[in-house]
Amino acid sequence: MTHRPFLDRRTVLKSGIACATVTMSMPAAAKTYGLSPTQVDAGVWLIEGAQDGFAPSNGGAICNIVLLETPEGAVVIDTGSTAKMGASIRAFADQALGGVAMTLITHNHPDHWFGNLAFQDGPILCLPACAAQCDRNAEGYSEALYHILGSWMSGTTPVIPNGTLEGGDINIGGRRLTLIPMSGHSDADLVIIDQATGILIAGDLLFLNRAATFPDADIPTWLAALDQLQGFDFAGVIPGHGAFHRSSAALVQTRNYLVATDARLRLAAELGLSPMEAMIAGPVPGTETLGANPEEYRRSVVQSWTGYEQEALPLAHPL
Amino acid sequence: MAQLLTHLLPGRSTDIQPAVLGAHDDPYDSGMWPWHREEILGDPAYWQNDPRVLVLGPKNAEDQTHVPFLVDGTALDAAEKIVITIDYSPFPWTMTFYCGRALPLVGFGVKYEVGGPLRASVALADGTWAMGAHFVSAIGGGCSAPALAHDQPDWQDGFGELRAKLWSETGRLRIWLRHPQDTGLAPGLPAHHLTDLLVEDLSGKEICRLELGEPVEENPVLTLLLPKELASDDVIIRARDNNGYIFEGRVETSA
Repeated sequence: MTHRPFLDRRTVLKSGIACATVTMSMPAAAKTYGLSPTQVDAGVWLIEGAQDGFAPSNGGAICNIVLLETPEGAVVIDTGSTAKMGASIRAFADQALGGVAMTLITHNHPDHWFGNLAFQDGPILCLPACAAQCDRNAEGYSEALYHILGSWMSGTTPVIPNGTLEGGDINIGGRRLTLIPMSGHSDADLVIIDQATGILIAGDLLFLNRAATFPDADIPTWLAALDQLQGFDFAGVIPGHGAFHRSSAALVQTRNYLVATDARLRLAAELGLSPMEAMIAGPVPGTETLGANPEEYRRSVVQSWTGYEQEALPLAHPL
Repeated sequence: MAQLLTHLLPGRSTDIQPAVLGAHDDPYDSGMWPWHREEILGDPAYWQNDPRVLVLGPKNAEDQTHVPFLVDGTALDAAEKIVITIDYSPFPWTMTFYCGRALPLVGFGVKYEVGGPLRASVALADGTWAMGAHFVSAIGGGCSAPALAHDQPDWQDGFGELRAKLWSETGRLRIWLRHPQDTGLAPGLPAHHLTDLLVEDLSGKEICRLELGEPVEENPVLTLLLPKELASDDVIIRARDNNGYIFEGRVETSA
């Protein structure tokens, strides 16, 4: 990569993270994560994230973390936004689940892997394109998260996953997992099905009661991934953001949100709106109160606008 | 009366409200603002913050190289030009829009080097100025980063591509031009950016024009507003950059 320094500098600026409004007053108390793992099915532990964007109020604990119990220790799925959060997850695995057998990262967005520091003594695996994106964006994500989260980030350094996997079945101490490579929310979205319980761990291909995020989204590909997910025979769903459930609620909601938001932005560009007007017009009616909205919708406008605009504006005629 | 088109989308607008500033207050407490008034605006004898100058921008810069703004001064009488400045940019002067026969509304995107206010100063026919401002929280670095185009070996392909549309019913004119807009601050990349853009009617008479500076985003998109009688016919766009390249085309009007 001859342009490597450019790419690095550039990714800092296009890191795809909303800068939450920075408040100048910081609470004096030491910051700790009050993570509360819940067992949603046999040996399936969920640490549910806040239904919001990165903010000092949540310390970046916004996505779902899953731990699967095996006789060899836990399979940890995603590690959180900060070193401190990763360490809290690790402490739970060590104290309650007999340590960590393996860590899996669903995709490259930093709320899912910036806690890797606490797991680097073992395998941290993800899809190859995810590892490449983590490497490419690490510096930019880090700068953005320090900006937003402040001292929550103390000691955090991005640790790129130390191995890759391609998908297929794996067996850890008798617990069989099916790993399915997909994309659409990002370049590489790892979907995991726990064969013992039939639970689908969907990463950020699925959102429930929280606005979907678009920084690396490709909507047609994402919709195709949803079609594929719908074809699976699952007993329960853990979305990337939102509660565990035993229905197709997240599938339906995510699909509707993508289709309607896509249509809204296309319409806005076709009617001659500027991106600020599309932002001010607010989210699709009925989605204003989803977690992280209307902020997430506004971010999506900035992230996705150029494509819609180019479609809407024809080439000028030569003179 | 603002001339926004947000009502064309179904649903209820969210609560983005322009900042309301006291006549001579600077709630952003910017050290640069008095200096910019002196150096860039020519030290006007009479100026005031005016709620009729809507400066709409995001709270936070999601992308430091594309921060969208819309300035609407259509509630003012006799606006002659709009000067856009960014308080803490290495290039504070961003653009000057000479309204001419167009309405005093301009939408654009800018690069943010440091978080801070962007100001729109509207010169009125009586020699006074009406100002508006909007503060953006930003990580920054947008002016010193290389254009995305330079990541690609073929960035010159499509350079100068001009896309535009004029909506006859609303008078909206949107203009997109493929240009790297290099500020000269990124290592090894000399300044290369648009300096002028002119909108003419088919008889060649000027409708309005803009002078453009370094902070304007890569592949800039401008939003303008023409009175309906001018929007019912095609218009001509002519632009040039600091290296002498000329970009021009005819924009078709359509419903």
